[in-house]
Amino acid sequence: MTRKMVLIDTSKCTGCKACSVACKEWNELPAEKTKLVTSYQTQKDFTTKTWTYMTFIEKYENQKMDFLMRKAQCFHCANPACMKACSSQAITKTVLGYVLIDHDKCIGCGYCVENCPFGVPKLDPIKKKSYKCTGCIDRVENDLKPACVHTCQPGALQFGERDVLLTQAKKRLAEVQKTHPKAQLYGEKEMGGTTFLYLLLDSPDVYGLPVNPTIPLSLTLWKDVIRPVGGLAVGGAAAAVVIGVFANLLKGNYHSNKEKVGNDPSSINKGGKD
Amino acid sequence: MAIKMETRNQVPIRIVEDKVLRFSKGERISHWVHAISFFVLLFTGLGVLSTFFQPAMTILGGIHVARVIHRISALFFVVVVGLMFFIGNPRYHWRWIKFVFNFTKSDWQHVSAFPKEFFGGHGAYPEQEKYNGGEKINSLITIFGTVFITLSGIVMWWAPFFPVGLVRWAYPVHDLSMFLMTAAAIGHIYLGLLHPDSKAAMSGMLNGYVSKEFARAHHSAWYNRLKEEQKKSIKS
Ligand code: HEM
Repeated sequence: MTRKMVLIDTSKCTGCKACSVACKEWNELPAEKTKLVTSYQTQKDFTTKTWTYMTFIEKYENQKMDFLMRKAQCFHCANPACMKACSSQAITKTVLGYVLIDHDKCIGCGYCVENCPFGVPKLDPIKKKSYKCTGCIDRVENDLKPACVHTCQPGALQFGERDVLLTQAKKRLAEVQKTHPKAQLYGEKEMGGTTFLYLLLDSPDVYGLPVNPTIPLSLTLWKDVIRPVGGLAVGGAAAAVVIGVFANLLKGNYHSNKEKVGNDPSSINKGGKD
Repeated sequence: MAIKMETRNQVPIRIVEDKVLRFSKGERISHWVHAISFFVLLFTGLGVLSTFFQPAMTILGGIHVARVIHRISALFFVVVVGLMFFIGNPRYHWRWIKFVFNFTKSDWQHVSAFPKEFFGGHGAYPEQEKYNGGEKINSLITIFGTVFITLSGIVMWWAPFFPVGLVRWAYPVHDLSMFLMTAAAIGHIYLGLLHPDSKAAMSGMLNGYVSKEFARAHHSAWYNRLKEEQKKSIKS
């Protein structure tokens, strides 16, 4: 099994939102009350029940409006911050490149929610579980395409082997750059290379995406420095106590002490006078 | 209304027969509320920190109960002890703060001789006041650890209401404070319970009094000062 990829070619996207409907349908996620955010956008952010949605950016340049549309979902990073942050080893990465939350292990601490650079996982405070796009792993492992890809009419979503699709994406990019010089791939290198990879028509910040997403420095410091060093410090303190007890035993301090303190004031001159 | 615990805002008779009053009732209450809630917080916190400790949470009723207990004991840890500084036993609590923030040369000398003492030898250092250098460091770790673990804990508790950048930093701060305080607590408990010379101090945290011998041997500067003060107050 090799690494898979979903290419989201925003140059072909028509903003029909069928992908978000298909996602709800397949994953049995109930519809939620929506609200108009901007001209076409009806969903502001991920929720525990909305794992993918469309963002619409209206970009004005030279009296001309460009409608930038993007399907948002989990990127399924090769180097996932959520997995590093997880307190309960509930998040794993599969050989296919899928990042999955095991809800039997998840305790709802919210560490993944706070550390994802894209703000993808969401916490259900009642169920005490974190939820996000599964990449339709249950379909993919049964030789089906993810529900969103399967339903996409204009062919903006494609599913396949990562190597093959990436080559294709680069070819397509060269084509798109003729009309959109700032077009670029997003996810080839970001976060170690993402499984859901974009062909964007403009730079990521125009879409509200981080230009240089990384594992937060605080997370690296927390898990790779403070944890091991702190563990050593506590272990060192415990070891010092064990050595201390033995040293005192060997020196016979536990016997002599009782006689000294209490009966014979002349001998209790520890603590400076000697 | 203030619960004035053995203070009544006057200097009490400190030296009684062969004993010396070391800690007021209020100080002892704060110490034990802080100590017990610390261990409850540590135990329940470790259940979240690692799947290694998570199975142990079944004795509390599972990880979700542990997380609730963590928050409840945090209230004791912070609010009860915090209130002691204002309405419980303010005078003696603030005096402790004043003592431990006054770190002197004599304290450094104690600290450098301390490793020898810790392992059962005898180091040379000047006469110590009420708190020696080591005790001051332990107190300072407790004070700063408590402040940082509390602030970060509040941010983690109500994470959705704080900026994400702050929440991300709260995690390492919480863990760092926890490791520091736990390491200090291990040494502290050894000195209080197991160390042949210093365990005589334990009674001071139980009934308030330590023996005159202990006071003279470990804190002679303190003992002599109390003797002087007592002489003066009896004369007047
Ligand atoms: C004083 C107020 C404190 C507050 C408000 C507080 C709050 C929290 C919160 C909200 C969490 C996140 C986990 C969860 O959602 O259940 C947490 C984790 C934790 N707390 Fe506290 N806590 C406090 C004090 C302490 C103390 C004194 C200790 C131990 C000495 C401690 C040890 C831990 C540990 C080990 C974790 C797990 C951190 C990790 O996963 O790396 N906490 N605390």
